[in-house]
Amino acid sequence: MKTKQELKEILDFIARYATYQLGSGVHTSRAVRNSRRIGEALGVDVQLSSFQKSTVLTVLDPESGEALTRVAAIPALPISFERNSDLSALSWEALDEGLALDEIRRRYRTLVDKPRMDPIFTLAVVGLANASFCRLFGGDWTAVGIVFTATLVGYAVKQRMQAHGVNHFLLFAGSAFVASLCATAALRFDCTAEIALATSPLFLVPGVPLINGVIDIVEGHVLMGVSRLVNAMLLIVCIAAGLSVTLLMVKDSLL
Amino acid sequence: MEIFWNTIAAYNAATWPVQIGFALLAFVLLVLLYFRPTPAVRVAMKCFMAALNFWIAGVYYMVYCEPREYHGMLALFWAVMGGIWVYDLLVKHASLERTGQHNGFAVLLLAMPLLYPFCSLALGRGFPAMTMPVMPCSVAVFTIGVMLAFSERVNIVLAMFLCHWALIGLSKVYFFGIPEDYLLACSTVPALYIFFREYVRTHADHPTKPSRRVLDALLLVLCLIVGIFFTCTLLHQFNLFASL
Repeated sequence: MKTKQELKEILDFIARYATYQLGSGVHTSRAVRNSRRIGEALGVDVQLSSFQKSTVLTVLDPESGEALTRVAAIPALPISFERNSDLSALSWEALDEGLALDEIRRRYRTLVDKPRMDPIFTLAVVGLANASFCRLFGGDWTAVGIVFTATLVGYAVKQRMQAHGVNHFLLFAGSAFVASLCATAALRFDCTAEIALATSPLFLVPGVPLINGVIDIVEGHVLMGVSRLVNAMLLIVCIAAGLSVTLLMVKDSLL
Repeated sequence: MEIFWNTIAAYNAATWPVQIGFALLAFVLLVLLYFRPTPAVRVAMKCFMAALNFWIAGVYYMVYCEPREYHGMLALFWAVMGGIWVYDLLVKHASLERTGQHNGFAVLLLAMPLLYPFCSLALGRGFPAMTMPVMPCSVAVFTIGVMLAFSERVNIVLAMFLCHWALIGLSKVYFFGIPEDYLLACSTVPALYIFFREYVRTHADHPTKPSRRVLDALLLVLCLIVGIFFTCTLLHQFNLFASL
């Protein structure tokens, strides 16, 4: 049987664990499964209900029947598949090895404190990835080169705006505009300029929220899924708005 | 091609006194920044850089390059860069303190706008249809020089804009046959490597992946690839492959 203090400590940790996962781009059912698994390892039953900005958790001690509930805010964290994978593995370790709460907390801290990707490395890799998109869509090498540097500019703008806490939607519209503005350089050359223009803001497409939204709906977390999809759609509208401004200036039309 | 040189000729014929004025002002500000870097001088230099970018956007592209296609987009591009300098001034991002690093290279870049006219003359062009110190590519090289010599904290957005401009300059070597723009492309490769390396070093207190050494090596490889690409372009431009 757990004391109230022990139950509270478990609840606090699982709230932190679950919200960290949800903030890092995990779909809802995975966060629920992992949290319940940790709860099982610690001898408590965990119920979790998640919304776009917050999560409601209840921890129940089956022996005493005592339950504690908490609402925790979901932090806005960079999407990290590595973190998500590590934290999922932690929940299995907790169950398989029967870890105590202190040990789970220690391992959690180690995982969360692992170094993140260097922003310059990310910048270069995103540039290469977007340039590859251009090639995949049939762009020639001049267009690929222009998309590469246009992406570097657009992504650098996005990183700086993020660092200055600029509104999410403005950030997407601004980055799309800058990337496509730089890609208009392709129009001056004999190359596949339309493909360069169209692929330049693709690095902004919110793939993870879109996929998570669909998974959430399929797995029954309809409210969360729809809110994720609405958010993703708004971001796509912002990207389209940024690109449209460039197209209207360059071609006097959207097509 | 003809439109290209006609617009340059019109711009040079009408603005050469202003260009000389800009060059003299740049020289005075650089000397002051080097020997007496007071806050007023730093602010003056940032204002000058913003004015230079807005001049290229407003006067060069919007007035004299009007016959060219998409001149408005290029004007906007330079106006955004001018805006970045104004933003830099407002938030005090770059200190414009003398870094004391890469002195030789930085001085070479700062002097390079003056080399542009000589390159043009050497290639057989004559005034006014020739490259001059206050034109987009020479201003871009000058900006890289200022950032190398006086910016402890690299403005990575501005560096990326200049990198993009250098690529366009390189394409102009190919498509419009303007080898002078190769100067910008040549200076951008090592400058970019230095910018990235400094940026990584200033953030070295936060452990990141990959490690600093690996990142240095990756940046070097990336710049080498770009450098080899530029060299091939130069050889192609001068038809050296034909004689090999």
